[in-house]
Amino acid sequence: MQAYAIYALKRLAQFVLVVFIGINLAYLISHATPIDPVEQTVSAATSFGNASPEAILMMRASLRELYGLEGGAVSQYAAFWRRVLVGDFGPSLSAFPTPVSTLIGRALPWTVGLLSVSTCLAFALGNLLGGLAGYFRESRILKLAGIAAMAVHPIPYYIVAFVLLIVFGYLWPVLPISGGYRINTPWGWNAEFVLSVVTHAILPVASLVLVGVGGWFMGMRSLVSNIVSEDYVVYAELAGVSRGRILGAYVMRNALAPQVTGLAMSLGSIFNGAIITEQVFGYPGIGTLLIQAVHAGDYSLVIGIASVSIVAVSVAVLIIDLLYPLLDPRVKVA
Amino acid sequence: MHALRHLALALFLAMCAVSASAEELISDLPRNETLIVENPEGTIKNAGWFNIWAINAGGQSTGLHQLAMDTLWYLDPQHGLDGVGMNSLAAEKPIYNADFTEMTVKLRSGIYWSDGVEFTADDLVFTTELHMKTNGLRWSAPFQINVASVSVPDRNTVIFKLKKPNSRFHSLFTVRWGAIWIMPKHVFEKVADPLKFDFNKPVSLGAYVLHSYDPNGKWFIWQLRDDWQRTTLGRYGKPGPKYVAYVDPGPPDKRVIAQLNHELDIIHDTSAEGMFTLAKQSKTSRGWFKGFPYAHPDPTLPAVIFNLQNDTFKDRRVRWALALLIDIKAVSMASYRGAATISAIAIPPTGTHTESYHAPMEAWLRDFELDTGKRTIKPYDPNIGRQIAEMLRPSMGEQIPTSADDIARAFGRGWWKPDPAAASELLQAAGFTRRGNDWMTPDGKPFAVRLVVEGDLRPVMTRAGSMIAQQWRQFGIDAKTEVAQGTLPDRRQAGDFDAMISWSVETYGGHPDLSYFLDSWHSQFVAPPGKMQTPRNWQRWASPELDKIIEQIRSTGFDDPKSVDLGREFVKLAVREMPIIPLMAYNVFTVMDQTYWTGYPTAEGDPYTDPVPNWGNSRAMMVRLKPAK
Repeated sequence: MQAYAIYALKRLAQFVLVVFIGINLAYLISHATPIDPVEQTVSAATSFGNASPEAILMMRASLRELYGLEGGAVSQYAAFWRRVLVGDFGPSLSAFPTPVSTLIGRALPWTVGLLSVSTCLAFALGNLLGGLAGYFRESRILKLAGIAAMAVHPIPYYIVAFVLLIVFGYLWPVLPISGGYRINTPWGWNAEFVLSVVTHAILPVASLVLVGVGGWFMGMRSLVSNIVSEDYVVYAELAGVSRGRILGAYVMRNALAPQVTGLAMSLGSIFNGAIITEQVFGYPGIGTLLIQAVHAGDYSLVIGIASVSIVAVSVAVLIIDLLYPLLDPRVKVA
Repeated sequence: MHALRHLALALFLAMCAVSASAEELISDLPRNETLIVENPEGTIKNAGWFNIWAINAGGQSTGLHQLAMDTLWYLDPQHGLDGVGMNSLAAEKPIYNADFTEMTVKLRSGIYWSDGVEFTADDLVFTTELHMKTNGLRWSAPFQINVASVSVPDRNTVIFKLKKPNSRFHSLFTVRWGAIWIMPKHVFEKVADPLKFDFNKPVSLGAYVLHSYDPNGKWFIWQLRDDWQRTTLGRYGKPGPKYVAYVDPGPPDKRVIAQLNHELDIIHDTSAEGMFTLAKQSKTSRGWFKGFPYAHPDPTLPAVIFNLQNDTFKDRRVRWALALLIDIKAVSMASYRGAATISAIAIPPTGTHTESYHAPMEAWLRDFELDTGKRTIKPYDPNIGRQIAEMLRPSMGEQIPTSADDIARAFGRGWWKPDPAAASELLQAAGFTRRGNDWMTPDGKPFAVRLVVEGDLRPVMTRAGSMIAQQWRQFGIDAKTEVAQGTLPDRRQAGDFDAMISWSVETYGGHPDLSYFLDSWHSQFVAPPGKMQTPRNWQRWASPELDKIIEQIRSTGFDDPKSVDLGREFVKLAVREMPIIPLMAYNVFTVMDQTYWTGYPTAEGDPYTDPVPNWGNSRAMMVRLKPAK
């Protein structure tokens, strides 16, 4: 137990270090951008309006003051960490004075919903089909499924997304191609809204699942192919255990352990967003927000989104690290 | 195996069910009463923010400034509902004193905010005084620079006393895309900090009120006010659409799909290819022009902008040489696939400018002579617009106009003849030398030009830049394009370019006055090298002759015919000096679907306004649109 406690503390320290370094890198990189948020705002404010040069000079000065960009790099860095330690990323510079946390909080549920559903679906389908294909190696349907999964897997997912868009948005226009729900539908836990969210998610989820399923499929099939020749499987077959039970309890269960590690990592990454999917399907989420923030030079928002992602992935890795010794005694903790 | 079959069956049944229940785009609104418009701002990340007086805090062309805001005057980039200039909240044109230090505004009465409070002079005074005492609002600076005091001698009159003479002070309250919008005093006077107030739900002075919006910023719906007669648009009749939805339809391909499915009535802008697809496949879609080039030429002039503080480009002979190396026909094909409206002069070929400038100056352009150092040439070719039309006719057939006037309106008139021999002479006269195939600057270095383009964010202009760089390269100049993407505003302001494809000329379109951009070209505003330049003189051109013209315009009334003469003097000076190489109008492929609505503004039918729907002026469309069914 003591060995596990030391192991857990080491992992926790690693976690803190990774998060600290990650957020610092996000801070440095975002501040190194050649895009100046004040100039972006000035440009947006004047590109369509009467722009007297004297007025622009005055506007520039007041924006620098308003955005808190006065002062040296050290004082700005210190102020940044003072805010981050209490979970405050400050106001967005491109939607001033709305807090970064408000913008992220509004976008994040859509991304998490979209990516968790598609990740879990791809995981379930890929592993189920892969497991079956590895066990029933003579099945023609499963061979066909294998070929299809391997054929689709290397296609960039934005190509799959565009194909779905054209097929179901134009040639056979039965599914919505834009937005997270039907326009003018009131939000709430009612059938109309939920159904609308589900139908709007079908194409983005399908594009991610179609591409994602192949990886799980191939991984599971090769794992199962190895396991079926293990002694305990051969013994179970000789003992007359039903094939269904062998597949479920003896083969798939053992093959799942490494796949679950992969799933945890994938679930940690859902906070990164699916930028291209969101762009192609006009789906609300953190990816679109990140792109907007980068274009506007809004480094407060960029750091906020990057930090959420860094923490999420690090937490996922930490959880796996902490759980693994408990699940698999072969893992050394000392 | 059974499970797999069941899964396949379930999927098939689900698709059938989805097919049967394919839903309408908008819930609970009659489609034939709803106009669906693209919002080119895309997804608004801070959708619940309607305080338009805070800088860029929320969306603007979400319908907010088109349908809910109002101000004193509108100036249409086309011909207007009843003339180019529209008195909106003002009852008449601005009245200046002799030395332009005082502007009197007579206000219209009987106009109400959407919450039933009457609009009065107090709202205008409040707007002014709040901006004067608050830093950081969108229009704080112009108020603080210009206004000494504001007073209300009677209920419907407001007098602005100005800190210094300004004959164009009223332009701050004149909508050309946008302007200073009037604040509701009764709302904002209760607000502690106007910079942190979201103004949700907005009180409207326009004919529409906010109906609903997506917290994720994908759509905004506005509803016609029951008391629309009590707004400034009321005197033009009842607006057609009961609801107007501004939506983010996504990238150009999706906009085309949405309109083919009749789910997007007005596309703000799409690619040339998208426009051609709609023209071919949708009988109900049309652009500003019925045929080629379809697009609306905005009063904005994309050009090759030189950095005149760069030693290489200080000599006008070098700039002229580079102009004479451009084949504008190839640039038109590369950028707009031929659907460009070219201009040889530094005025956008749109609105009433063609009557004020392009047509009357044609004779001067034909006679214009350029000294190459060895001979004198007449570089202007008046037939280039026609040549582009003829080049396209075999493939586009009836889409190409036939009459000379129509061709001039659609494709522009003339441009500079490509003349490499003259370009060589000009460069040699400027001290450049040729070594093999390569040109060298007077100090013996290779003649290199970094032509900055915006990249994916503006593909049409990027293609134009690539073509121009290629033409310069073929001549022996080491020309390269550099893609700036999102850094373009920073680089433009910092002067970090040799040349760039952008625009420093923007005009009213419907009015010949050029002060909208030209005033900022005065040398008093040119930043020293390395310092940030303010809009719009990106080329940093400082010229005593130009200053003289600008100063004369400043002391001339806005509607004084003399200002057109001064505008023509500017055009002549800009042709002689070539500080920028004007290319073409910024053509916007606005596409209107007539399935549900008719009465859109068009070039041949009724050009009553610019159809580009993110313009504040596009509110004029609402009173002309009628249901098609």
